[in-house]
Amino acid sequence: MSDLTVETRDVADVTVLYPHGFINAHTVREFDSAIQKAVVRRRFKIVVNCEGLSYIASAGLGAMMGAIEEIRGSGGDLRLAGLNDTVHNIFEILGFNHLYRTYPSEAEAVSSFREGGQAAS
Amino acid sequence: MPATAPRPRRRAKATLFVKIPSETSYLALVRELTKKMAEAAGFPEATADRLALAVDEATTNVIEHAYKGAADQEIELRFEDRGAEFRVELIDTGKMVDPRTVPRVDLERFVTERRTGGLGMHLMEKIMDSVTFRRSARRNVCLLVKRKDGAAVP
Repeated sequence: MSDLTVETRDVADVTVLYPHGFINAHTVREFDSAIQKAVVRRRFKIVVNCEGLSYIASAGLGAMMGAIEEIRGSGGDLRLAGLNDTVHNIFEILGFNHLYRTYPSEAEAVSSFREGGQAAS
Repeated sequence: MPATAPRPRRRAKATLFVKIPSETSYLALVRELTKKMAEAAGFPEATADRLALAVDEATTNVIEHAYKGAADQEIELRFEDRGAEFRVELIDTGKMVDPRTVPRVDLERFVTERRTGGLGMHLMEKIMDSVTFRRSARRNVCLLVKRKDGAAVP
């Protein structure tokens, strides 16, 4: 089994990415590619459902940072849902929780684009 | 003849040497090993997870910067429980990288200038009590130290 798989699903105008496994310098290309494919399709409202993500190293955070300017500049955003304690902690260490909106569930993250809502955390 | 009190047994501290190829496919193994060694040294699981991340980042730095992505080189890792502190040394024979030239994280500039460099170094410094680099006998030595007194645990 692969160390990381990333499925993509469109929910109306929101694209949800499902990374399953872990993201480090070895697996990051798969994750980066999924973000880039959404951007190429001009799907700028992106939710990363992290429920299947066990771990993320700086390479994965860099992949998100590398695309965020274009995404936000095009009126979209990249939001995260279902972070486990390990991933949430890494976000906090880096201060990424101030840069990205995070939500307990995918449904809340998806609906936040309709409400222009505030982050849950 | 009075019986002599038995000497308290000193428990040996764990030390482990590992040599891995400079391939990113070994990063998962490095992370697992670090977590196991940190837990054996007495750190709780959450701290062991963070230490594993720091060593993952240090190993990634060696592969990407010292060896410029070459997969046919070697990295030595030395894990040592010194009682008061947990130490991990990474040794490589690649290009000397001056840590002062590695960019530090600047979240504002990340957004405005797409700067993604320096995240790994920033994580290492936030997680560990000390991160030092030295050049010795044409080898780069990166030493990561975490004290066990609970200080500075993020």
